Amino acid sequence: MTAIATFGELLERHEREIFAYALRLTADRDDADDVYQETFLAAFRGWPPPRRGQERAWLYRIATNKVIDRARRAKRLVRMDDLRLAAPERDGVSLADLASAVKVLPEGQRAAFVLRKLQGLEYAEVARALACSEEAARSRVAEAMKKVKEAMR
Amino acid sequence: MNELMTDARERLVARARREGLETVGYGVVDSPLGPLWIAVGPKGVLAIHYGSEPAAADLARIVRSYGPGVLPDARRADPVARELDQYFAGKRKSFDVAVDLSTLTEFQRRILTATAQVGFGEVSSYGKVAATAGRKKASRAAGQALGSNPIPIVVPCHRILASDGSLGGYAGGLEAKRRLLTLERGGAPAGGWIRRGRDD
Repeated sequence: MTAIATFGELLERHEREIFAYALRLTADRDDADDVYQETFLAAFRGWPPPRRGQERAWLYRIATNKVIDRARRAKRLVRMDDLRLAAPERDGVSLADLASAVKVLPEGQRAAFVLRKLQGLEYAEVARALACSEEAARSRVAEAMKKVKEAMR
Repeated sequence: MNELMTDARERLVARARREGLETVGYGVVDSPLGPLWIAVGPKGVLAIHYGSEPAAADLARIVRSYGPGVLPDARRADPVARELDQYFAGKRKSFDVAVDLSTLTEFQRRILTATAQVGFGEVSSYGKVAATAGRKKASRAAGQALGSNPIPIVVPCHRILASDGSLGGYAGGLEAKRRLLTLERGGAPAGGWIRRGRDD
């Protein structure tokens, strides 16, 4: 894949997954729209991407921080009731069940879980997006998985 | 999701424009010759490319002059698209949109400026264009400069033929060049003319 030279290329290549990610984390169309816009505007203002080939993790990190900032500002837990808007059905799992299971995860685990299990990122990318070690990313996802499975039993 | 995405992107691009982050806007329009990728900067049209994706060379040239703020923004391309529509419908013989040649070399600028003087329905040759540009002996280089004309149709390089009257070359393919010349000779009825067979 060639290096990204323009805002337009970054946008066209990644906007759908970032919008979907924002929708999964916020479960609200307007909030997701804001996160998507703030993420890309921040990326444009902070141009160029820190390292070639890592634009994706960079965008996920910005988006994750925007979601956490918003949740902090709003002093409320992010609602996941509307997850079915964004999540494709997987393995016959009821999305409503999955949504309520994900809802109760702590923020760091929730972001790791969504990035790995719903967005399909590699652990290395999850780690870069959440600014933690790959080991920490694995353990957050594993912890989250355990809780989600328990909740859905 | 698609609709959500389109709305969200329009709002994003509008904000980027307001904040001065967008320097160049582009859009893809359908034409009788297939999709055209059109980029417009602060001084005018920077590129019209045959195809729905930009050419790497166009992007590199644009970024060198205007930075990375190149965003999908159909609004910027609309005035060009309108004039092209009128041209293809046989209702326009010259273009009013400004063209921006500042990203090109001086030689390319001279050749394209000379080419722009060849009017609708007329033809010229690479040699004559080179002479008009003050470089009488540079007909081969003129041909190359026209082959990489970043703003075809509006800068009418299709009107420039080889000195023996044969078509020469064309970035959009010789079939496109033939059709543009046919349109300008009044031989192509408005609408539908691209759908005729190759050997018409």
